[in-house]
Amino acid sequence: MTAVTERVVERREGFDARVLGVEVAEGLRAILREPVALFFAVLMPVLFFALFAGIFGGYTSPSGLPVAATMLATYGTFAVATVMMVNPGVTVADDRTRGWLRVKKVSGTPIAVSVAAKVIAALPYALLSLLAISAMSLAISGPVLDVGTWLRVVGVLLLGSLPFALLSLAVGFVASSNATVAILNAILFPMTIASGLWLPPGLLPGFVQAIAPLLPTYHLSQLAQAQMTGAGGLGHLVALLVSTVVAAALAGLAYRNLRV
Amino acid sequence: MDGLRHRYGALTALDGVGLHVAAGECVALLGPNGAGKTTLIGLATGLLIAQRGRVRVRGGDPRSAATRRHLGVVQQSMGFPTTLTVAELVRGAAVRAGRPAAAAGPVMAEVGITELARRRSAKLSGGQRQRVALAMALVGDPELLLLDEPTTGLDVASRRTFWQVLARHRDAGVGIVLTTHILEEAASMADRVVVLHRGRVVAEDSPTGLTARLADRTVTARSGVDLDVLRALPGVLTAERDGERVRVTSAEPERVLRAWLPLDDALTDLRVEGAGLEQALFALTADDQQDQRDDEMVGVPA
Repeated sequence: MTAVTERVVERREGFDARVLGVEVAEGLRAILREPVALFFAVLMPVLFFALFAGIFGGYTSPSGLPVAATMLATYGTFAVATVMMVNPGVTVADDRTRGWLRVKKVSGTPIAVSVAAKVIAALPYALLSLLAISAMSLAISGPVLDVGTWLRVVGVLLLGSLPFALLSLAVGFVASSNATVAILNAILFPMTIASGLWLPPGLLPGFVQAIAPLLPTYHLSQLAQAQMTGAGGLGHLVALLVSTVVAAALAGLAYRNLRV
Repeated sequence: MDGLRHRYGALTALDGVGLHVAAGECVALLGPNGAGKTTLIGLATGLLIAQRGRVRVRGGDPRSAATRRHLGVVQQSMGFPTTLTVAELVRGAAVRAGRPAAAAGPVMAEVGITELARRRSAKLSGGQRQRVALAMALVGDPELLLLDEPTTGLDVASRRTFWQVLARHRDAGVGIVLTTHILEEAASMADRVVVLHRGRVVAEDSPTGLTARLADRTVTARSGVDLDVLRALPGVLTAERDGERVRVTSAEPERVLRAWLPLDDALTDLRVEGAGLEQALFALTADDQQDQRDDEMVGVPA
């Protein structure tokens, strides 16, 4: 052994915002450079919106608002839930199967930072999806909301996407990449239909209408509509908070069973 | 690391293993597949949680991210996102270790991957990926490097560069623990070799000490000296005749020869053969491999 010199390494200790920045940048690059997976998650809701807004947009909904306006809430929920439900879980499952999560687990990054970055990196795409729907709505039905209301709707939808992102992560922590896509879609689509996001709840069979209040997608779309009607949204807010707690518990449980 | 014990179901991967690594020391972990080498690295990196025993790096627990900033790790079966470039990977590793992203440039030059900087990780060969992994381990200026089979997939030239880089960091005071199947690497690089065998340390010594301690050397020559006379010489373990040649085994061949040569002026064709590290390792773990084969035959569940 040769003589050992005293090594002085300048190193940041404690929370380092740059680490979160690196993780978010990696997440954004992953989506930008391989956009195929998310392309459909953004495109599908937009195309569905165009189709149904073209047919029903001119009618008036039971709340007195034009259907084109309430559809911004229902299809907006569908759009946001699709992006946030699919992206974080699938990317975390990819990282796991590829051996990248192993690398991060032995690095100086707390895993909570990695997980938060996954959610943050997906948010711009959820926003993109909402902007595309809004533009489509403007083109088909003209302005149906004032700017302030629209901003509140967008804010509610983005913040309310947290339980979906957590549920997505819970599946991504334990299932393979392919299984994660399948499982998440299998949860998402029934939830979307039963919550009346595609078709008005009045058109659905009675037992499906009875399930709706149990689903976070229903409460998110109702809370978004409440921004337009001025109706009280407290019950929906509480339901969403409960969903977030349940999804967080599931994600925590899945993380404890994480094999990297 | 003290008194480590780790089990996977019924399989005991580590059983009472202790390992201490000083700054500027290189320790090689040797042993057959399943000896517990990767489990030991997994515990030291915080990837696995010790079921019994204690792991400390600079006094800290590697399960905490703050402690891991001082570690540089090359794992087996590690992978990178295909969407990131080499430079992005190395810069990211620098930031994760609490160092400036600009630290990436010099390290990439040192490891010889500067020309790959803009290449996506999906387009790297196995050897290139291994060099990127080393750069990512070094860029955080770690106090301790943990390298699990780091030279897998490297050709001879890049392997030599690899060891030169490691030697430079060791001389600068970095502690190194590595596992390898290539015994010459362990012999040339390590200050200390730890042989693991079914989750236990069966030998711990310098490479030369291990060879000397564990493998006797063989002295052969054409000689007319009687076997009984040879057997009575100091240091002789066994003596046999094979036609005109005599074969003597000893742990101290120099001492044997000092006594043998004056007895036989006509002695010719003298040869002293030492066992290499490979033979020493084989001797230490041979029964283990036999046991493993037996286990496979009766189908013991892992």
